[in-house]
Amino acid sequence: MIKIEKLSKVFRTEEIETNALSEISLTINQGDFVSIMGPSGSGKSTLLNIIGLLDSASGGSYKLLGEEMVGTKEKAKSKARKENIGFIFQNFNLIDELSVFDNIELPLIYNNVPSSERKKKVEEIAKILGISHRLKHFPQQLSGGQQQRVAVARALINDPKIILADEPTGNLDSKNGNEVMELLTDLHASGSTILMVTHSDYDASFSQKTILMKDGVILSEKLNNRNVDVFAANLNN
Amino acid sequence: MLKNWINIFIYHIKNNKFFTALNVLGLSIGIAGLIFAILYWNEEHSYDKWNPDKDRIFLLVNQMDETRFWASSSSPAGAAIKEKTPEVEDYCYLTGDYTNEIIRFRDKKIQSDKIVSAQKNFFTFFPFDFVEGNRAKALPDENSICLSEDLALKFFGNESALGKEVVLQNKKLLVRGVYKLDKKSSYNPSCVVNFVDYGLRETLGQWGNFQLVLLIKARNANAISDIIRNLDKLYYTNLTVRFAKFNGMSPEEYVKKYGVPKPHLESLASLRLHTKTGGLVEGKGNYQFLLIMLGLSVLILILSIVNYINSATANAIKRAKEVGVRKIIGASKTNIIQQFVFETVLIVLFAILISLVIVELSLPYYNSFLEKTLTIEGSQFYMQLIIIFFVTVGVAGIIPAIYVSNFEVLQVLKGNFGRSKRGIWLRNGMLILQFTIASFFTIGSYIVYSQIEHMNKKDLGFKASNILDISYRNTYSDNDKTTKVNRFNQYLLIKNELSHIKGVKKVAGSGFVFGGGVSTTSYLYKDTEVDGNNIIVDFGFLEMLNIKMAKGRYFSPKFAQDTVSTMLINETALKQLNEKDPIGKVIKWGDKDVTIVGVVKDFNLGNPGDPIPPMSFFHFKTFPWFVNSLNNIYVDVDASNTEQTLADIEKFWSKNVDQDYPFTYDFVEKEYSRSYSNYIKQKELFSLLNIIVIIIALFGLFSLASFSIERRMKEIAIRKTLGAETNILLKELSKQYVLHCIIGFLFALFPTYYFLSKWLENFSYRISISIYPFLIGFTTLLVLTLFVVLTRAYQATKIDILKYLKYE
Repeated sequence: MIKIEKLSKVFRTEEIETNALSEISLTINQGDFVSIMGPSGSGKSTLLNIIGLLDSASGGSYKLLGEEMVGTKEKAKSKARKENIGFIFQNFNLIDELSVFDNIELPLIYNNVPSSERKKKVEEIAKILGISHRLKHFPQQLSGGQQQRVAVARALINDPKIILADEPTGNLDSKNGNEVMELLTDLHASGSTILMVTHSDYDASFSQKTILMKDGVILSEKLNNRNVDVFAANLNN
Repeated sequence: MLKNWINIFIYHIKNNKFFTALNVLGLSIGIAGLIFAILYWNEEHSYDKWNPDKDRIFLLVNQMDETRFWASSSSPAGAAIKEKTPEVEDYCYLTGDYTNEIIRFRDKKIQSDKIVSAQKNFFTFFPFDFVEGNRAKALPDENSICLSEDLALKFFGNESALGKEVVLQNKKLLVRGVYKLDKKSSYNPSCVVNFVDYGLRETLGQWGNFQLVLLIKARNANAISDIIRNLDKLYYTNLTVRFAKFNGMSPEEYVKKYGVPKPHLESLASLRLHTKTGGLVEGKGNYQFLLIMLGLSVLILILSIVNYINSATANAIKRAKEVGVRKIIGASKTNIIQQFVFETVLIVLFAILISLVIVELSLPYYNSFLEKTLTIEGSQFYMQLIIIFFVTVGVAGIIPAIYVSNFEVLQVLKGNFGRSKRGIWLRNGMLILQFTIASFFTIGSYIVYSQIEHMNKKDLGFKASNILDISYRNTYSDNDKTTKVNRFNQYLLIKNELSHIKGVKKVAGSGFVFGGGVSTTSYLYKDTEVDGNNIIVDFGFLEMLNIKMAKGRYFSPKFAQDTVSTMLINETALKQLNEKDPIGKVIKWGDKDVTIVGVVKDFNLGNPGDPIPPMSFFHFKTFPWFVNSLNNIYVDVDASNTEQTLADIEKFWSKNVDQDYPFTYDFVEKEYSRSYSNYIKQKELFSLLNIIVIIIALFGLFSLASFSIERRMKEIAIRKTLGAETNILLKELSKQYVLHCIIGFLFALFPTYYFLSKWLENFSYRISISIYPFLIGFTTLLVLTLFVVLTRAYQATKIDILKYLKYE
């Protein structure tokens, strides 16, 4: 699904050149749940932004669904983004001035889905995520966990091919954080492809594979031990 | 999508009621101003617009010298040019003024003030629609009259007017047609008669006598140069050569010395606004005033659009997150632009509605200000309104929308965007533009005000407190000399009676109105030609108006020759004559030799901004035709009991002088000030607009300062924590505005100087532009700026530090 080869990103200021990413290669297949970990400044967010087509690479190749994305125009990127990618952010990034319903509905609007169908879809997904009773509220009236669920609903409403999550639990307490992680696990279980940036080993343990980054390079990739999952699950139980 | 946009739009309006209201109001005022200007513009441009031949009907204009253009022509010119030039299809002579006379039908009499006398083809030049009768056969002879629908209605009600016999100037006239006066044209007569042919026959052959208006219809609009070439030839043979011979010199010498009239043609289409003459009967549009109105209202609209853009881009930063999220979710740039333009569309629509309300409510005041009857109507106006809408949306909507759509998603979502410097150049540029416009208005209105004050304070050379000017209908018949003597005796009789009314101090007749024009006659003195304004007076007139003598004496009944062969000149004429000792010098004036017995100190007859022309003063009896101009009787009335005296005069007048026509009078001072009311209006307009501009600009400054100080709250909080004192903070917060104010002022310097100098060129008695208006304008602006900014900044320094330090 995603194939990255020798991808690099250089930030230039007048005096200094910083290699945020240096020749990274990575493949993510359909149905994968991958975490990226690393200290601040390791390049993990930059990588996520490039994959999410919010930022552009300085060199190398990034193929999304077989199509080369490095060097394509903003318009094509925008199209690829709205059709294929769903985002979940640490600070939710909901539009405060719009109701929950309007927030979730937005991606459908930009994908030209007819109004009647939009309403049905929003209600469906709100039901799945347990926020049906909150549709008329504004984001500020919700708890952090509920806000993140709205954000997840918005990310999923368009049936994206891949979900990008940038520290989705960063702004949540452990209970709400856990709920969100379970949500992601469920999504994965139902076949979604997920790429998540996180600081937390615990969160990473929900994923299949953890990539560790430092100074713009991938230090290691490890498959998470199922046992740990089971153990954690048992502990939780 | 629309619903989504509207939701968020309403949310923002609800949360920014005050600033939204300011914005909408600002735009409404700007648009209302433009609508006012456009209504005026349309009205002035509607004259003769309906006339199908407006481009090929020309007024023959005769240029007498560098600056004087006459709308009148000589009697033989029309027939001669038609014969000589195949391109001329037709010509029509008509009177240059309306006459105001009583028309009778049986025992009904109605005074009609817009009577025009024209040749029989008048209605082919002005093809008004005929309600009754036939346009082609409307004025076959001198016994015919055509009435406007209004006048016919007054006379005959619902009866047919056709074939009825009315009486005008003791002539029986048959009504041959009734026309509709529903469109504006250079002539809007209440009725048309065909009396000019008589006058034409009388003056046939007099190439040097410019009496009637001559309209020439060409076969096509491009024939101008041929017609003018032939007119030039005609003038050469009939004026230059003939007069040169008469004066015993070669034509070249004659032209060099005296010059000859130069013919020009002005089409009906351009006449109203662009004629070089003083205009035809309906007057001349004030094109300069029109341009000033339009220019100023466009400036105000720009100002309010700038306000809108500023506040929209400032607000957009608050909305950066929304835009960022929309983009991530899949909104394209176009989507974002559409959304923001959509919001502007709603705002502008609303603003236009409010502006229409403003216009509708204030139209009566505007009409009385312009002395017009403008209304909001016409497809042309609605088209223009639609254009205003699109242009406003285009400028006010697209700039902020593009600016917003260019937000970079990553930067926005990283936070800190609220304090970014993005777009600050745009807002600063706009702010400077506002300061420039505001400076222009402030300085400009001060200069205009000074000039008008300068004129008001001018020593006019006459004093007219409590002096009445009574219009005297001195009707006469042109060919009866004995009547003329009778006329004057009749006047003396009235004068005598008036003098006996209680409260009347002095009475004197004259042939002119203060603030109006007079006829001019040229005379020669030692090879110098002087175009003197003919000031025809009775004994005691100059004394009554406190007009002083520079040399010599006033006219006096003690000197028998004062009614035969003496004249006075004014100082301007003396200067032109270049004569050290003018008293006793003899001048050939008309067919007589007259002696100068005095020099009158210069006084203003016309508008105080105009130069004072050379004047020749005569007593009424000096030349027989002078009595024709005896149309004004001036009465010096005792100020203590004016009303009673007026009532007595009126009673006497309507009983003994004129039973038919109403008693009409005016105070000289009022009459005179009307001669430059035009400029007083410009002053008032400029002051009003200046206030509006300053208010709008301060609105803008206020919202911008609020916004930018809000963005710096964290900085202010940190500075306060570190111990900054209030006045240091205030200085820090206000210095950029002072800087912008200075830059804006500097940008305004040159345009202000340029345009106001142009405007001052209208006046020969004028102020020169000094440094004071600039100093005063700048100081005013700076004080207002500091006031607005410091109020805002002072509030900011009183903040709760913790609130802003904890934030983010």
